[in-house]
Amino acid sequence: MNRFKRIAVAAFAVSALGIAGSVSAQDAPQGDAGNGKRIYLRDGCFTCHGRSGQGGAYNGPAPILAHTALPFDGFSGYVRNPTDDMPAYSEAVLSDKDIADIYAFVESLPGPRSPKDFPILNNN
Amino acid sequence: MPKRRQSPEASRRNFLKGASLVGAAAAVVPPVAANAFPAAPQEKLKAAVPGARQIAAETMPPSSDPVNQTTSGGDFMVDVLNSLGVEYMAINCASSYRGLHEAVINHGDNKPEIITCVHEDIAVHVAQGYAKIEGKPMAMACHGVVGLQHATMAMYNAWCDRVPVLVMGGNIMEADKRAPGAEWVHAGVDIGQIVREFTKWDDQPASLQHFAESAVRAYKIATTPPMGPVFLALDAELQENPIRDAEGLRIPKFAPVIPPQGDSGAIAAAAKMLVEAQNPLILCDRVARTPAGMANLVELAETLQCGVIDNAGRMNFPSRHPLNQSFRRGLIGQADVILAIEMNDLWGTVSHFSDRIVRRSRPATKPGAKIITLGVRDLYLKSNYQDFGRWQDVDLDIAGDGESSLAPLTEAVKRLIDDGRKAAYDARGKKLAAAHLAMVEQSKTDATIGWDASPITTARMCAEVYNQIKDEDWSVVGTSIRLSWPHRLWDFKRPYQWNGGSGGAGIGYNLPASLGAALANKKHSRFTVAFGGDGDFMFNPGALWTAAHHKIPMLYIVHNNRAYHQEYMYLVAMAARHGRGVDKMDIGTTIKDPNIDYATVARGMGVYGEGPIVDPKDLGPALSRAIAVVKSGETAVVDVVADPR
Repeated sequence: MNRFKRIAVAAFAVSALGIAGSVSAQDAPQGDAGNGKRIYLRDGCFTCHGRSGQGGAYNGPAPILAHTALPFDGFSGYVRNPTDDMPAYSEAVLSDKDIADIYAFVESLPGPRSPKDFPILNNN
Repeated sequence: MPKRRQSPEASRRNFLKGASLVGAAAAVVPPVAANAFPAAPQEKLKAAVPGARQIAAETMPPSSDPVNQTTSGGDFMVDVLNSLGVEYMAINCASSYRGLHEAVINHGDNKPEIITCVHEDIAVHVAQGYAKIEGKPMAMACHGVVGLQHATMAMYNAWCDRVPVLVMGGNIMEADKRAPGAEWVHAGVDIGQIVREFTKWDDQPASLQHFAESAVRAYKIATTPPMGPVFLALDAELQENPIRDAEGLRIPKFAPVIPPQGDSGAIAAAAKMLVEAQNPLILCDRVARTPAGMANLVELAETLQCGVIDNAGRMNFPSRHPLNQSFRRGLIGQADVILAIEMNDLWGTVSHFSDRIVRRSRPATKPGAKIITLGVRDLYLKSNYQDFGRWQDVDLDIAGDGESSLAPLTEAVKRLIDDGRKAAYDARGKKLAAAHLAMVEQSKTDATIGWDASPITTARMCAEVYNQIKDEDWSVVGTSIRLSWPHRLWDFKRPYQWNGGSGGAGIGYNLPASLGAALANKKHSRFTVAFGGDGDFMFNPGALWTAAHHKIPMLYIVHNNRAYHQEYMYLVAMAARHGRGVDKMDIGTTIKDPNIDYATVARGMGVYGEGPIVDPKDLGPALSRAIAVVKSGETAVVDVVADPR
């Protein structure tokens, strides 16, 4: 199995999402972050993206979602019609409100911090 | 010169003399055994009427069958194994090879040293992990039918991983020699057939000389690249009975095959293509089979100042080398010449593939990119199992051992580099080095997300482990599925610091194979650490008993995500595709209700256990305690309740 290919592609995808996310997210509908967390854990979003939105791996990239800068439309559009191996979540399993709530949740998650604040990440 | 068996006891004449002495003694020595037990309370019992068997025993002369022997075929088999330098024999004991087993203990004085395993799958995986660290095979012995069937999964992993293992299974070839019952259901006409599709070679020797030659041949075939497991069926009578013609037996001389280098003309052509390329790239997977492999690959990459993408089937390239671009796969799409060395799945590496309703693929390479392959993998393939992967068009296909061919290739490259190119190469190398450094910093930044979360993030789990072992002479010999953090965060730079994955992705590899690697590391006083998933752990938890019994030091981190997590994700994808029930996909994919307490399981096997560790603050102290145990010479298990990936 090509272990590193997947994580490398994930890094690329994260980067791509970051570029897309340079557009402000202020137009996002008001979501319920608490309910979003419940759905995120119940419906398996965490299985690929991590409980903290730290990203992970499925067949390929599972980008970081914590404190996402992706605009809601981009986020929602990707959930409905992803271009990679991520499953497409239809209305039948995830309503627009569910997606808004999930978006509110991942937006609320703390993003990365400076590794300099973590001595054990700088010991070699 | 061929060795000849020296033991004076081995001759048929001596055996017959011994047998006749035993027979004569039996006729005159009083039956003291009956008086060896304390006298039973005297009781007046009514005498039973003698049966036919008793009457016969009391009236017939003693049987002429020999009842003792002074040599056994098993002794000779042990001599053959020892002549090959086989250090260990991992076993699950079985009557069909009791002759060999006894001979190892008494004739060989437990050499090869027996590693007692509680399942044949464990025994073969132990051998697989050992071989990848020590660079040579160990033996494994099992029942030829039922034991071999248990062993098949591990043998398939070793096959896919191109690892030599010398597997032996007992059998009773002659039908009239099989006892009623188990010996019939444990016998087969051609037991090698069970594993023939995933072994390089097998045989069922019909004589001791045949065994000797086949054992040496099997060892040679197993250790010749492309390496792989081999199998010998051992007839029980051959193992157990006296040696009939000791003087005629000889142990063949083993001379290892010198692996072939690529054709010199092809090497020169490859060098020219690489030197003239604007963006050459090296892909590698199972290149380093000796400590020299990594150094040779580093020299080639540095000579070309080109990127290296390592699929990590072996310890091929240092993780912190500036030219290591393993986490920058986008380079594949920029390369104009790709050198792929000992690749397991070249097509999968240079293609994009979509696991959607309509499965599609497209090249990840840019149009016109040239691909050179170098390796021996395609020199030995079989047809049923599809581990050879999808066809990939290439431009220059060089048959030759990757590691052995690196030095002549590097020399050919050096001859073609002039001063003008050197400047361009240096500039290319500096760009790659900067990108590598940025990748490392990005990994550290990514690792901070969810730092204090529970379940613990895999990034923090790996960072905490490295923090405590970084100053040891460490060796990582196992990992859970898609756990890439060690290679993103740790400084791998020694040939034994990594030994690749399972090969066949057959679950149950990680715990016993890590143990085998730890056994190899033990004599070098290295600190062995392994990560493994909880699902994998439960396939072969009995490996921990072997760790305790043989006092093999290893720090084993259970990456406990309480699921067969890859399958969990697949099921969510299926439900989403079908537009239903995505919230129920934990059914059949999770390992909870009840949660398994792996530390308690470990303790039950006689191994030190810590956990379950749920709070990241508790992880460091737990690791400290576990590491102290490992340093005392034992295995310690730390159960870390962690996020999936």
